[in-house]
Amino acid sequence: MREIEITKPKKPPMYWVKLGGIIAFIIIAYSVAFTNLDLDSAFRWEQASTMLQRLILGPFTDAAAIERIPELFMMMMETVAIAYAGVLAGSILAIPFAFFASRNIAKRGSIGGKGILNGIRSFPELLFAIIFVSAVGIGPLAGVLAITINSVGMLGKLYSEVIESIDQKPLEALRASGAGKIQVIWYGVLPQVLPEFMSYALYRYEIDLRSATVLGMVGAGGLGAPLIIASRSREWEQVGMMLLIIIVVVTLVDILSRNIRKRIV
Amino acid sequence: MIEFKDVSLTYPNGHQGLKNVNLKIEQGEMIVVVGLSGAGKSTLIRSINQLVKPTSGELMVDGKNSLAFNERDLRKMRTDIGMIFQSYNLVRRMSVLRNVLSGALGRTSTVRSVFGFFKHEDKQLALRSLDRVGIVEKAYSRADQLSGGQQQRVSIARALTQKTKVFLADEPVASLDPPTSHIVMKDLRKINREDNITMIVNLHFIDMAMEYADRIIGMRNGEVVFDGPASEVTEKTFEDIYGRPIKEDDKMSEQDEETAENETASHKEGDSA
Repeated sequence: MREIEITKPKKPPMYWVKLGGIIAFIIIAYSVAFTNLDLDSAFRWEQASTMLQRLILGPFTDAAAIERIPELFMMMMETVAIAYAGVLAGSILAIPFAFFASRNIAKRGSIGGKGILNGIRSFPELLFAIIFVSAVGIGPLAGVLAITINSVGMLGKLYSEVIESIDQKPLEALRASGAGKIQVIWYGVLPQVLPEFMSYALYRYEIDLRSATVLGMVGAGGLGAPLIIASRSREWEQVGMMLLIIIVVVTLVDILSRNIRKRIV
Repeated sequence: MIEFKDVSLTYPNGHQGLKNVNLKIEQGEMIVVVGLSGAGKSTLIRSINQLVKPTSGELMVDGKNSLAFNERDLRKMRTDIGMIFQSYNLVRRMSVLRNVLSGALGRTSTVRSVFGFFKHEDKQLALRSLDRVGIVEKAYSRADQLSGGQQQRVSIARALTQKTKVFLADEPVASLDPPTSHIVMKDLRKINREDNITMIVNLHFIDMAMEYADRIIGMRNGEVVFDGPASEVTEKTFEDIYGRPIKEDDKMSEQDEETAENETASHKEGDSA
């Protein structure tokens, strides 16, 4: 075998000085941070361990928490329903936005369509929830609306990327046969993109189920409100039970949706 | 009747696709356009239904200059011109029957087509068209489950369902093997004879052109350099059109032809059964 020789480029002259400076800075910054923070009073072992114990083991032993299972489960179902209604409405409303944002369909208008979608996506979902709670009052409707509008932003972008990647040739054939614009979209584009749309909508549902619990904390319905109340009043057994229910339901939905998605595409 | 009057086409990048083309095509002719790739065959065919738009001259379709058409007239004209493509251009995830029915979209209202309410006679015509190309039993298969030759026959059935007077076929057999190519060309010629549909076909194999054409149009560098009955065409004519000696690659071999005959025979038996 032939020996390969290649000269390693020389380090720049100030390399070791710079490296030393950076390391020294990190050490100094850390020591300053540690000496100035009163970590001792912020963290107590016994307090943390009892809290964790109540959070993790509590749900299995605490009678009050076990008693609330049916009630909490129904609230989780409300969260599931909020996410479902929101994503369903969002996944359908996103379709016209997506066409408007696709370069190959809307041509130059797509810049406007993309702008709208980017605008929607730049708002955090929680902010939408707060806005809708004050607009339509506390309850599931606010959560549904927040998720709907947020899904439109996200799914619209994903959909438009699917539309931009379709095979253009069937569209040419349809146009050549004298089909109109809507007919070309209906017979040429939709059959190509609908399976991907459904797959993305399901994926979005997995995500929104999790965010729907968070939205509940600002009064947008579901399990979020009791979760925040229980944790404020340090009822860790209750909090643990709610987290347990969330974990189980979210995992089940994830498995189900992944299997469906595998079959679609 | 289609008539090119001094038609030229310059692409935005400055390339001249057609140069002062003058042609007269009568109803029911079987025409094969030949030429090397880049000679303007495709541009010639596509300018008839304005998938590309000529930049000067007049293109008369049934006595009217189609280059002056507005959007609405253009759509109406296109419903009378069927087109077959090299890569079939079917919607792969849709059923064969729905692909064939999409040929009837031009005469179906938007509302009807969105709900899939095709007229009964259109559905019957779609099935009859599939039957004519010998694949009616595939009507409910998904288009992407079919072989290339079958997909091309679906696209022929789609053009038949369009109920047109003219078929444009842009390299319809370039993606197919020799036996399948002959089946497709025979289908096209049969339709030409039975329905008196004008066929304008691009081909680059000279033996196929001579076998299936009544009239051959030769193109080079965007110009029509030959136009005459296929009976007058010899290899010498092709050398003139191509501007170089004929090579083996320009032909499909004789042996392939025989296998094609057998395939066609079995395909017919299948029809009667």
